[in-house]
Amino acid sequence: MAEAWEPFEVRLRFPSRMEWLDLVDRVAAGIAAQLDLTQDETDAIANSVVEAGTNAIQHGHHYDARLPVDMIFEVRGDRLCVRVHDVGPGFDVAKVLSADPTSPESILAPRGRGIFIMKSLMDEVEFVMSPGSGTTAVLTKYHRAAR
Amino acid sequence: MKATTRYEGDVAVLVLSGRVMGGPDADAVGQRIRECLDRGSRKILVDVGEVTWVSSSGLGILIFAQARVVQAGGVMKLSRVTHRLRQIFMVTKLHQVFDSYETNEEALRSFAT
Repeated sequence: MAEAWEPFEVRLRFPSRMEWLDLVDRVAAGIAAQLDLTQDETDAIANSVVEAGTNAIQHGHHYDARLPVDMIFEVRGDRLCVRVHDVGPGFDVAKVLSADPTSPESILAPRGRGIFIMKSLMDEVEFVMSPGSGTTAVLTKYHRAAR
Repeated sequence: MKATTRYEGDVAVLVLSGRVMGGPDADAVGQRIRECLDRGSRKILVDVGEVTWVSSSGLGILIFAQARVVQAGGVMKLSRVTHRLRQIFMVTKLHQVFDSYETNEEALRSFAT
């Protein structure tokens, strides 16, 4: 590997309230600065992580502030991996991924862009769901030398 | 999110700042737009230069606002779109939906033409 990032990990646990996403946003930007990412890469990560947090709060926890959202920023070698966990039952991934919010019939829809934005801006997006243990969105951005 | 309105000639300038993410933000923007329309303004400029971030729900607010203005026979434009917001507009193709300008001056001039 030509270049690599020094491994580190940042963990957040916050109540399911939207105002906490400001902190998430600042942490994402701070980590991007540590990794010497471009403005485009920094914005991509911050936009995606905020969307993942929004999904966890809105759809996973239905704004129930008693339920915490867990977020782990994990940097290892060639990648930044962000895991966003909620305790919700999950959703039909195939259905959501098959939707195209940029199509003429959907472009003016008020909702339905969150996962599309994450998929467009990150290198990999995966959702891990299992009954009883909630849903984890796994967002990955690779070091530009590894892409 | 904060929303304030000022008037520059016949253009209502709605200035948004902070995060735009749905819920109460939708009510605030909806109310401001309604006030502008009730006052007779049909040229509405939304200045997003001080917006820190916009969630996908926040995009819905802007889409809905534009639909209301158009429905009332008006025109809505955006100014001072940040790099970050422009990135979201590009991936969602909403740059084709919103008429956006780098500066307020440029946007205000465009209403006159």
